[in-house]
Amino acid sequence: MSMIDALRHRLPPAGPARRRVESLWARLARWPAGILLSAAVAVVLAGIAHIISILAMPALAERNAYARLSELAESNQMVMLADPTPQESVLPMMDPAFVSAVCLYDLTQRPLKVRVPATADYTSVSFYTAEGLAFYALSDQAAGAVVELDLMTPAQKAALPEDEEITAADRLVIVSPTTEGVVMVRAFVRERGLRAGVRKQLEAAGCGEAG
Amino acid sequence: MRLLPLAFTLLAATVLGLGVTWFAVTESRGLDVVRSGPWQGWPRAGTVKADPYARAALARSGELPIELADGLLFLASSDDQGRPIDGRCVTRIVGVLPQARLWTLTLMDADGRLIPNDAGRYGFTSAEVVYSDSGAIDVRLSPRARAGNWLPTGARSRVKVVLRLYDAPFSFASGAGDAMALPRIEREACL
Repeated sequence: MSMIDALRHRLPPAGPARRRVESLWARLARWPAGILLSAAVAVVLAGIAHIISILAMPALAERNAYARLSELAESNQMVMLADPTPQESVLPMMDPAFVSAVCLYDLTQRPLKVRVPATADYTSVSFYTAEGLAFYALSDQAAGAVVELDLMTPAQKAALPEDEEITAADRLVIVSPTTEGVVMVRAFVRERGLRAGVRKQLEAAGCGEAG
Repeated sequence: MRLLPLAFTLLAATVLGLGVTWFAVTESRGLDVVRSGPWQGWPRAGTVKADPYARAALARSGELPIELADGLLFLASSDDQGRPIDGRCVTRIVGVLPQARLWTLTLMDADGRLIPNDAGRYGFTSAEVVYSDSGAIDVRLSPRARAGNWLPTGARSRVKVVLRLYDAPFSFASGAGDAMALPRIEREACL
């Protein structure tokens, strides 16, 4: 209590706001010190528990995108996703105006080759780590008509033969920070009547281990 | 005899800490919010610079966010006056959209699901919507069929609107996103 008093005396005397704070202090000071200490400890521990749980969430979440998708897709295979409906959506917050395909990749053995054909409209390819962190994206506009690229780990990129790197000027190499992750292809459906056509075009998309 | 208060303190701390975590991952999509009227966007959630709250929220929901190079998502659950968007009312979304290769406007219920309707219409795309002469859009959210750009709300008490801008030239380094004008959301009439 004496500490609180000392603190109070150091404050310059001022207007109603300060007086309100002072009366709050005075009221708190009348509480038993044990309760105040416990409350302070509880708040600090709660803060620690909060920070730890937030930081651990990506690693602990069991129903993240990778887990949901691995129920319906094998590794290193392009799989078309069902269009989201009011009843069902493979992943939350999918844009109903797009047709999507995913490829769960595993780079443990060798790099991955991804090929996405041109569709009638805007098509993008996005890359995510297994924890759902987006690390790269490109659209058909940036890549030209057909998107062809190689996905590899930093070690696999370093192991690329020198001469191959020179001829690889027209080859798009993307480095994945993790060995596992998701490639998601989204193709825009301008009007509903075009959906079947875009879906058919996107079915030609593929991914597989580089031979 | 000091054990009981200690146990109680630890329990209170755990409940409080995890409760705040639960609130953070269900109610927010990250700390890095860009606001424009009632619209909220999380540009860095779709990059490797996503903050821990965005990572936690996305890992829990299972969403794969739009990569920032691909596009940007804006979410609105209230109108310009700050009232929640009520699906039993007629709500207008009026204005010019920012420069983008294409955009989509989608209506969802409070849980983020699409709203079932006979027309199978869940939103508009930049190619489908009817523009005014000035290039503005005027979309009406209404439980009953309307002429023009109508989105059925299914008379849900709370609805959310998602605006996705694809291949749009943004710069968030200067905080320009806050100044970006997005369509107004106005409540017109309640039934």
